[in-house]
Amino acid sequence: MTKEEALRIVIGAVEQLNDELDAPIEVGPHTKLFGADAVIDSLSLVSVIVDVEMEVSDAMGKPISLTDDQAMNQTVSPFTDPDALADYIVTLAD
Amino acid sequence: MQLQGRFVDLRPLRPDDAELTYRWRTSARARLLNDGASTVAQQEAWIRNRPASELNFIICRKDAVAVGMLSLVGIDKVNRHAETGRFLIGDEDGVRGLPAAVEAMKLLYGIAFDTLGLVRIYGTIASENRRMIKWQRYLGMREEGRMRRHYFIDGSFQDAMMLGLLVEEYRAEALPRMNALIGMATGAQA
Repeated sequence: MTKEEALRIVIGAVEQLNDELDAPIEVGPHTKLFGADAVIDSLSLVSVIVDVEMEVSDAMGKPISLTDDQAMNQTVSPFTDPDALADYIVTLAD
Repeated sequence: MQLQGRFVDLRPLRPDDAELTYRWRTSARARLLNDGASTVAQQEAWIRNRPASELNFIICRKDAVAVGMLSLVGIDKVNRHAETGRFLIGDEDGVRGLPAAVEAMKLLYGIAFDTLGLVRIYGTIASENRRMIKWQRYLGMREEGRMRRHYFIDGSFQDAMMLGLLVEEYRAEALPRMNALIGMATGAQA
């Protein structure tokens, strides 16, 4: 999977949140997903994780987990923003 | 009963929470929950009349600001099950970047499975409440059934999704995932 494909999936999942949030968020590669400057809460983050896991698993033809020990042990959190998550997804394809 | 987490605490729901919880329950984000009280006075009366078979909590940040609520109801110590419900993050802005929802749920599951020794918790969610369904499934709940046209919300009927979690599923699946999300936030704060 290429970085562009992964980024499209992640941004699509974050954009879907806007259907359910009171105040829509602006979504881009550097939208903060977690940490002190995050624009969403953990309920919404889980929604993104579920959607991304499902779509990436379908695309790769194998189940992937974004919250296993490997993800948790990354120097830079994969959930910092869509760009970081897309980078991490690409490593799962290797 | 008061429970302390890394990012949030759970404290008992009190009558003086009536105005705040009424405001949350009548906000747009609560539109997919069951109808509640129609006035603050009704909400206060409802809080005062909670039975002993329920544990109703306010979710507070560590600075004591109330940000949400959740409950364990229908606690059945004979059959060792209970229903989770009334889960609502009332102050979304106040919990951005915090694993408030996941840690609150972890504290509640801890009461259910570790303190009370229950073997099963369950709940129903309106079928259009997709974010909450995804949330509960991610945290280990299994779909056990569907009650057709069970809720009348926003002028139309919705099915009720019936979800359940057994104690072994909690330990094998829910707890590691909750710890991972909380750990991730702890790392982000460090």
